[in-house]
Amino acid sequence: MEAIKQSLIDKLSVEQIKVELMRTAFGRRSTLLSRFDPRVLLGWYTILAILPWFLSNKFVLLGLLVPVLVLTFSSKVSPLVLFILGLGLVSEISYILIGSLLFGGSLDAVWPLMTLTLKLLIISLASIAVFNSMDPERFSDALLSLGVPGQFSFGVSYGYRMLPILIEEYHNLFYSFRLRGKAPGKRGLLGWRSLVYLVRTAVYAFYPLMLNTAKRTRTTVEALEVKGFTYALVSPEARKLKLAYLRVGAADIAFLGISLLYLIALCVGGHWVSF
Amino acid sequence: MSTACAARIPQTTEPLVALSNVGFRYPGASSDALQGIDLTIERGAFVAVAGTNGSGKSTLCKTLNGLIPNYYVGDLTGDIRVAGLTAAEETVSSLSKKVAYVFQDFENQLVRPTVYEEVIFAPLNFGYPDYKERGERALALLGLSHLRDRWIWQLSGGQKHMTALAAALSLDPDLIIVDEPVAQLDPQRARLVYDKLKLLREQHGKTILVIEHHTEFIADYCDQVILMDKGAIRWIKPVREALSRVEELAELHILPPQVTLAAKQTLEAERQEGEAALPYPVTLGEAAEFYRQRDVGTRLNAVDGGSEAQAILRGTAKSGAQEPIVRFDRVTAGYKTIDRTPHHVLKNVSLELREGDRIALVGSNGAGKSTLLKLISGIRRPSEGSVTVCGFRTKDVSPERLADYVSYIYQQPEEMFIEDNIRKDISYFLKARKHPGYAELVDGLMERLRLAGLADRDGRLLSGGQQRRATLAIGLAMRPTVMLLDEPTASLDALSRREVTAMLSGELGSVKTAVIATHDMQLVAEWANRVIVMHNGEVALDTDKRTLFSNSELLRQAGLTPPQITQLGDALNLDPPCLSVDEFVRRVQSPLKEEVPAWKPSNKASSTS
Repeated sequence: MEAIKQSLIDKLSVEQIKVELMRTAFGRRSTLLSRFDPRVLLGWYTILAILPWFLSNKFVLLGLLVPVLVLTFSSKVSPLVLFILGLGLVSEISYILIGSLLFGGSLDAVWPLMTLTLKLLIISLASIAVFNSMDPERFSDALLSLGVPGQFSFGVSYGYRMLPILIEEYHNLFYSFRLRGKAPGKRGLLGWRSLVYLVRTAVYAFYPLMLNTAKRTRTTVEALEVKGFTYALVSPEARKLKLAYLRVGAADIAFLGISLLYLIALCVGGHWVSF
Repeated sequence: MSTACAARIPQTTEPLVALSNVGFRYPGASSDALQGIDLTIERGAFVAVAGTNGSGKSTLCKTLNGLIPNYYVGDLTGDIRVAGLTAAEETVSSLSKKVAYVFQDFENQLVRPTVYEEVIFAPLNFGYPDYKERGERALALLGLSHLRDRWIWQLSGGQKHMTALAAALSLDPDLIIVDEPVAQLDPQRARLVYDKLKLLREQHGKTILVIEHHTEFIADYCDQVILMDKGAIRWIKPVREALSRVEELAELHILPPQVTLAAKQTLEAERQEGEAALPYPVTLGEAAEFYRQRDVGTRLNAVDGGSEAQAILRGTAKSGAQEPIVRFDRVTAGYKTIDRTPHHVLKNVSLELREGDRIALVGSNGAGKSTLLKLISGIRRPSEGSVTVCGFRTKDVSPERLADYVSYIYQQPEEMFIEDNIRKDISYFLKARKHPGYAELVDGLMERLRLAGLADRDGRLLSGGQQRRATLAIGLAMRPTVMLLDEPTASLDALSRREVTAMLSGELGSVKTAVIATHDMQLVAEWANRVIVMHNGEVALDTDKRTLFSNSELLRQAGLTPPQITQLGDALNLDPPCLSVDEFVRRVQSPLKEEVPAWKPSNKASSTS
């Protein structure tokens, strides 16, 4: 028991979470999805994020789930992300179930709930698969090419650059609080006092992080000026040069085509099969 | 190569930079940040700008790339011409193509995720169709091509600085301005940066302007010094003449090179009053020559100097055994890398820290110094072996519990300011423990560290020296038995550095043992009584400082540069090594008094035993 607890603590330590986060963000992967044009991927994802809300046939939904699962698997997603997703789904089902039981319902409520859960699962897995595969740089370029203002698309990739620094600094600030703070003397039932203390500390540590970031940006803004960032915002050549590499190729068309054919096949099949 | 260089330098003889009667006032400020500046810089010069904080060094440099007045709007007067352009008619963008700028906090200047993205960013923004080649060329110029695909966060401080420089070079500027390169880098890496700047000047005809107050670097690389004071230029002089003005520099809190100070003292002892001795030697080579001419090398080991040497050697004997305060028992520790493989930062380290130890923990970046400190503080736990601190195994207790005995002062002061003023920050620990009468304790401490006037200021907004004092106070308010400090003198100017060193050498209250991880060999020479050299995650040497400085092979391996005065002593075959200017002057002078039989330490080991 003690060993299991220790291994759980190890898996959920700040250090471990940091590694998984960094891995998700910076582990350079070449996955199936990463080969496609980012704009095509964005379009594909948008359809998949909206479509399930208009479907209620479980056969079609399950049919959508299968390729999404395969794509998620092929994107080598971090177990931590999947764990958090699982946790969310389980708690979502259970609180609705508890609600229904409290107000005189029965286990019958679970079956219709499955439809909602399926929809959520498809959308979440699709987002995980797409954004896990897409380099934020390419994502930012896709946004720029789709007409999103330059400041915004730059913000995406700048956030990407800053993420590891912020994680590291947050970690140190968190320990700054702990090294000067005092943990509750009694841990309380199931250690709830300790938990409250740690969660509170985790929240407090964000404030100095924000202030430090604000201070840091002064040089960044000057540097952006020197590097011609504002010049590029109004000059069309820079944008053209930057986006020259984005090209929709045969593979992208094929990907969209196969997706569409599969979808039509599912809908036709859904006419005959339903449960 | 030479034809390419020649082609790049225009035929005109116009100086690269010409300022006449330039003044500037920040909006809302009550006095001028710059006044009456007349300055010409010829093409191909290597110039240092020195002066105290707030003397207008950075402001001057920002007028050259147009940040002033285009970005910082204020009252700018006078004429500025840079690289054939009249600044008043130009924008930041057009001037930036001629003037490269590497900021002091260069980390925040890097805005892209990878090295390659960073170096192509500026040429891409300015719409150069050959932006890729420009980026590659800049990387090759600084020998950084192997880092091309690295993430910025994976780089060491030195590599980040080089990347910032490469990004600036991608626009092929005529003038390169570097703001305090030595401040944020350890000495060896700073030297690499300077070597590259030297190369850029000699082989590519660039003009270099550095803001610098580390005079040892000025002496080795620059040929002119601009001394600034209160927004005006006090003088512009050739480097040797400039650095020989010891008193004037000291008055502005600029510390001349150690060898210059030594030569000055030696000359003053030798000469009659009123005799002119300027200029003094300013580089190591010049000083060695200066002392060789005085025949010092052959006379050094005479009895007087020798007996001091013997006393020094006797004084370094280890003190007796007591119960250790901190014990590392075959400790292995590390972290998981991004591909989930464990990386061992420390390997099988066994170590005991005892009462009275003042330990300097030295070694190159990544040698495991910070990890060792974190293990003692309980932030990290060993993967194998055990760390015992004041009777507790760190594996068994929380960091909060250990904090009753250990205080750990981070390298980045910003990461220790968790409240909105420093009085609250210093009280935090005592208040959390409901310590009776903590307010008086905190007041006393703030008085002692000269923080009383700053009590209500936000720690983040203080100057570097004040921030260090504040973090020191935070640590001392915890009344620790063990005090851990990570690079306490990094990025400080000479004055603040001396101040912090003096504070650490003084009364530390409850502290029984202190460990400082540092690259600052002057701090090691002045403060430590025990030196632990880390190399590749292992303890390479556990010794006293004199032995450390006599082991030049190990120093080189561990990436350490001894204080300049120690190097001078070494060049003159002074043994045991010399640690301070005063000691050096004494040991060099004493044989002059009378000729006495030579004392020769034939073998150092036998003379100690």
